[in-house]
Amino acid sequence: MTTFITGGSKCGKSRLAETILSGFPGTKLYIATMQPDGAEAEKIIARHKQQRAGKGFQTVERYTDLAGLAVPEGCGILLECLGNLCANELFGGSGCPEQTIPAGLEHLRSLAEVLVIVSPEISSGGTDYPPETCHYLRSMGHIHQFAAAMADTVIECVYGIPVVHKGVFPC
Amino acid sequence: MVLIIGGAYQGKRKFAASRFGIAETALLDGASCRPEEALCAKGIFRYQLLIRQLLHAGTDVLEWTKMLLRQDPDRIILMDEIGCGIIPMTAEERLWRETVGRCGCLLAENASTVIRLFCGIPTVLKGELP
Repeated sequence: MTTFITGGSKCGKSRLAETILSGFPGTKLYIATMQPDGAEAEKIIARHKQQRAGKGFQTVERYTDLAGLAVPEGCGILLECLGNLCANELFGGSGCPEQTIPAGLEHLRSLAEVLVIVSPEISSGGTDYPPETCHYLRSMGHIHQFAAAMADTVIECVYGIPVVHKGVFPC
Repeated sequence: MVLIIGGAYQGKRKFAASRFGIAETALLDGASCRPEEALCAKGIFRYQLLIRQLLHAGTDVLEWTKMLLRQDPDRIILMDEIGCGIIPMTAEERLWRETVGRCGCLLAENASTVIRLFCGIPTVLKGELP
């Protein structure tokens, strides 16, 4: 079962993702994609760690190359988030997130019993940006379409309210 | 007229091709087509960039869009939603953004069908899918 959760900044995506996995009885992995490169990132990471403390997740830090990550079969995975992963791949990794991230998502889906993918919605704030930012927007759009097509359930989080675009609300 | 909206890169052109049978290559690009070409086109994508062209030329965009609607009511128009996010720094960008919003309302009002694409998933906001 795969759920794709997107939505604006600080709108409850992570909390919902954690709730979906709360009743999962097996091994639960939290795949963290944000690189701790500065005080602001460290603060965000600390807040997320605190939010999921005691919820039974093992944290795996993975900034690029999801397809190469070994995960146990039948586990529960919370992947957070595609926005960081895409930036890491585009600006410091493979350079082609539109290939590597879909391959990585397929890899996780093939092994996980429950996969929850979190990603920021960034497509409706205009396109008047420098070329590298436009490239990032385009990559994210394609990756979101892939993730939504692959997922059983697609949810847009609107200030904590889940809006289901595909499938059935999982919890 | 059918209006297909959504954020950037959400699958609008692919959807227009699969559900309305208009080939992606048959859609005119609002970024590069001449406004007079757009008047004869069956479909236009990136209408928000045609709006930018019209603004640069000093055209009254709402009046021009009304003329477009009168000429061929069976057109398909694809336009990005760009009005969320931060208000732009420059007056020119603010005018463009606001004009796109007003045109979006005008197009939606005159459309028989309005569809919003989100991560490739269509939601019908007005009318029905064919």
